Amino acid sequence: MALILQALRYLVYVLVFPGFLFCFMTGLLLCGIDRKLVARMQKRVGPPILQPFYDFFKLCGKETIVPAAANRTVFLLAPLVGLAALVVIQLFIPVFRFSAFNSIADVIVILYLLLIPALSVIMGGAASGSPYAGVGLSREMVTILSCELPLLLVLLAIGKVVGTALGTGICFSLSKIVDYQMAHGSLLGKLSMIPAAVAFLLVIPGETGNHPFDAAEAETEICEGPLAEYSGAPLGVYKLSHAVKMLTMTSLFVALFLGGIGTGIENLMFQLGLSGGAAGAVAFLLEILVLFLLCAVLTFLTISVVHAVTARLRIEQLFKYYWTVVAGLALISLVLAWYGL
Amino acid sequence: MNMLSLQHFPIYSIMVLFLGAFLIVVFGRSKVVRHSVALLATCASMLFMMGLIKPVMLGGEIISYWMGARVPAGGYAIGIALEVDALSLFFGLLVSTVVFVACIYSIQYMSHDDNVPQYYTLFLMLAGGVMGMVLTGDLFNMFIMVEILTFAAVALTAFRNTVTGALEAAFKYLVVGSIGSTCILAGTIVLYAQMHTLNLGQLAALIPGNLTTSTKLAFALLFIGFCTKAFLVPFHPLAADAHGAAPASISVLISGVLTKSGIYGIIRLTYFLFQSMGLGTMQFWLVFLGSVSMFVCVTMALAQHDFKRLLAFHSISQIGYVLAAVGLSTALGISAGVYHAMNHTIFKGLLFLAAGAVLHETGTTDLGKLGGLSKKMPVTTVMFLVGAAAISGIPPFNGFASKWMIYQASYQKAVESNNIGFLAVTICALVTSTLTLASFVKVTQSVFFGQLPKEYENVKEVPFGMRLAMGILAALCIVTGLVPNYVTRFLTEPAAKAVYHVGAYINSAMGAGYAESVMQTVPVAAEPSFVQHGVWSPVSWLCLLMIALLALTVVATSAKYDKVSLGEATDTKYQLFYGGEKNFYSQVGSDDLFWGFKHNWRHYFSFMHELHSGVVNDYALWAVVALALATLYALVVL
Repeated sequence: MALILQALRYLVYVLVFPGFLFCFMTGLLLCGIDRKLVARMQKRVGPPILQPFYDFFKLCGKETIVPAAANRTVFLLAPLVGLAALVVIQLFIPVFRFSAFNSIADVIVILYLLLIPALSVIMGGAASGSPYAGVGLSREMVTILSCELPLLLVLLAIGKVVGTALGTGICFSLSKIVDYQMAHGSLLGKLSMIPAAVAFLLVIPGETGNHPFDAAEAETEICEGPLAEYSGAPLGVYKLSHAVKMLTMTSLFVALFLGGIGTGIENLMFQLGLSGGAAGAVAFLLEILVLFLLCAVLTFLTISVVHAVTARLRIEQLFKYYWTVVAGLALISLVLAWYGL
Repeated sequence: MNMLSLQHFPIYSIMVLFLGAFLIVVFGRSKVVRHSVALLATCASMLFMMGLIKPVMLGGEIISYWMGARVPAGGYAIGIALEVDALSLFFGLLVSTVVFVACIYSIQYMSHDDNVPQYYTLFLMLAGGVMGMVLTGDLFNMFIMVEILTFAAVALTAFRNTVTGALEAAFKYLVVGSIGSTCILAGTIVLYAQMHTLNLGQLAALIPGNLTTSTKLAFALLFIGFCTKAFLVPFHPLAADAHGAAPASISVLISGVLTKSGIYGIIRLTYFLFQSMGLGTMQFWLVFLGSVSMFVCVTMALAQHDFKRLLAFHSISQIGYVLAAVGLSTALGISAGVYHAMNHTIFKGLLFLAAGAVLHETGTTDLGKLGGLSKKMPVTTVMFLVGAAAISGIPPFNGFASKWMIYQASYQKAVESNNIGFLAVTICALVTSTLTLASFVKVTQSVFFGQLPKEYENVKEVPFGMRLAMGILAALCIVTGLVPNYVTRFLTEPAAKAVYHVGAYINSAMGAGYAESVMQTVPVAAEPSFVQHGVWSPVSWLCLLMIALLALTVVATSAKYDKVSLGEATDTKYQLFYGGEKNFYSQVGSDDLFWGFKHNWRHYFSFMHELHSGVVNDYALWAVVALALATLYALVVL
């Protein structure tokens, strides 16, 4: 009986929260907010906030054309694998106190798991046989390369700071990083972590492939690169993956740097004399809401504003930018963390 | 003594290979005979090695076998010994398994070649040489085995001597390989003159007390000798040439087996003979060399446009990982290093076999000429993708499991020793992994995806034997990646522990109490710590992914996802989008890719291009310079 309940719980995690349903709703909502904000900043009216949902369902109803030159299996399977891998990553990212699975993968593994959705885009594009996709996947790979170095420097710095504080030397477990922040305040409050946080924020648009780091999908020159041949439901799945990735990256930032914030709610309720099952549930829902709001703010800061005020970088500029400016920031952080600041 | 007792297994597993080689010379004219002899010999060798798993790996025994029963007398070991501890057995297992798989593959792969009996003879000689080298307990015997394997490898490199560059590659290999062998011989001579013994156990007991200038010189000589066998920087250009020209089944052996013998030699030399486990200068030396090899070779690979040459450079890059991890000289580091050595053997073997399959069907390995083969060779494509994901360190394949341990080990070492230098190794390893991914994306796009050239329209999938060989290795890739706990517990941790048990090795060779009587301080076998700080459980992850994928597929099929419209190429709707222009053959692959990266590194790449002149004189000069540097380092710093 207990086993069945356990299994059911895991199933709920995967399918509802923080799995598919949650990813689907919040991801597309974030995407909608982003589009609306960018439009407002550019003095356009912009689409309704729910537009990404309409787009997704519309695409699902369209005919899926598989080019004659394509490898059909890979072409159709790649989007699904990418989305599934992305949703599984979301399961490992704690929502403040709550973490669905905390003993499966730590943050360095997550860095590598994040390669799988990116690879699914590359594989899908390659399988289509289109030359536009060929150019696009080459750029996509360079974008991955660019983001990887700063991201891993940031993670190493965090591992060092938390590990030193916990006395284990190094610590990459996300739930422990969040626990540490609950006890000692957000990592953002530490001097050594500020450059790392800035670097991470700069990595977010690169990882999600948003403007100005969208050389890989540059619609105006290479027709969305790897997605050039996609249509119908598979294209919808890719669009959804892109939206979910925004959620993943921003919620990863929240977990890594703002982990302490959400716990305030429960304490607050406790001080107000509210406790017990119902209050706990309310606190939990509030925490999810706080997470969503934080993600929305981060999306605004790192994706919308940057999108509105910059023009697309060429791929070699993108690479140079990440390996010098952003990696430099992260390296400063790592060195500061090393000397215990 | 019972002929079937475990004591004899090491010698049997070497003997069957050499015996097979001679039998094929005599009776090899018949196809059936030579195939069955080769298969039987390699299979038997593998089984003998597997028979030793229980006592050696799990029981911690060390098996000494004295040829002709000439056991040491009067404190001197005159006879030739085979010494099999967990480290030797680990490498022995690797070697024999891959040799067996390569043998299965060879049967159909080599079916169109001339002089096939000679091929099998040399193949078995090479395998026997490597087996002998990793199992022997005698330094001079080790040199002989090194000679056998080097010359077999040289001959096999030039086996397809009609291929452009085969003879040149063999010649380069011969020249630099001979320099390496000569170094090993010279080092052996110097040690023998000093210690009057060649037995590894006895040497290990005597050397630490007599660290004279000559022994240090011997160290440098032997070290460089083993480096040439592992093709570490600066000997890496040889590997590229050799792999490019040799048949794929031989590339598997050269990359999977021969380089491992070099790594094995380095571990034996540094940690057993010279017992420099805790020595900072030695750690620096190994880790530095490993990191340089790791990084230089991965960038060299990015610049290649030949499938097999690209794999060759990756092979050294991965060996760099192994050396850097082993050089950390922590238990976790060594365990991670040998784990990666094993994984490298498996996935690189798989990749070379896939490259061989492409060569077998299309006749070329030029990335610029291929494309779109996934529709014609689906099985090979899947096998290749498994290997590519494994080498690029994509979870949950085996490459990730071991690289993951290497990252942790180097970071842990950096934190423990408070030395920021080791952190650079972690970063280098992480970046190299992504660069590896980039270069395999390049191969995937250039060979298997994209558009199919006209001339390959009639290409077929490779025959069953070749698919079987690839299938075995692909399955191993997945299994060893999914259960890292078992692999470390049963294979790599015993091997890593063996490195700590020098005293036991000495006593097993020379009789109990010898180490204590000769050495002032016997290295105490403290229980090494294999604590990992990382969290990664591949099986649970895979379960979650499967649930997610299943759920997604259910939703997708209940929607219209599977109602795709497929059509003929003649219908314009199903043609590729060309912006309204006329359709034409346009494969984006090979050198077209990763311009953004290469442009930023153009000065580095042009520098490397000029450096790798392809002239054997230059490479010989590099070898001499490397020897001079190693000697200087050994004499001044160590």
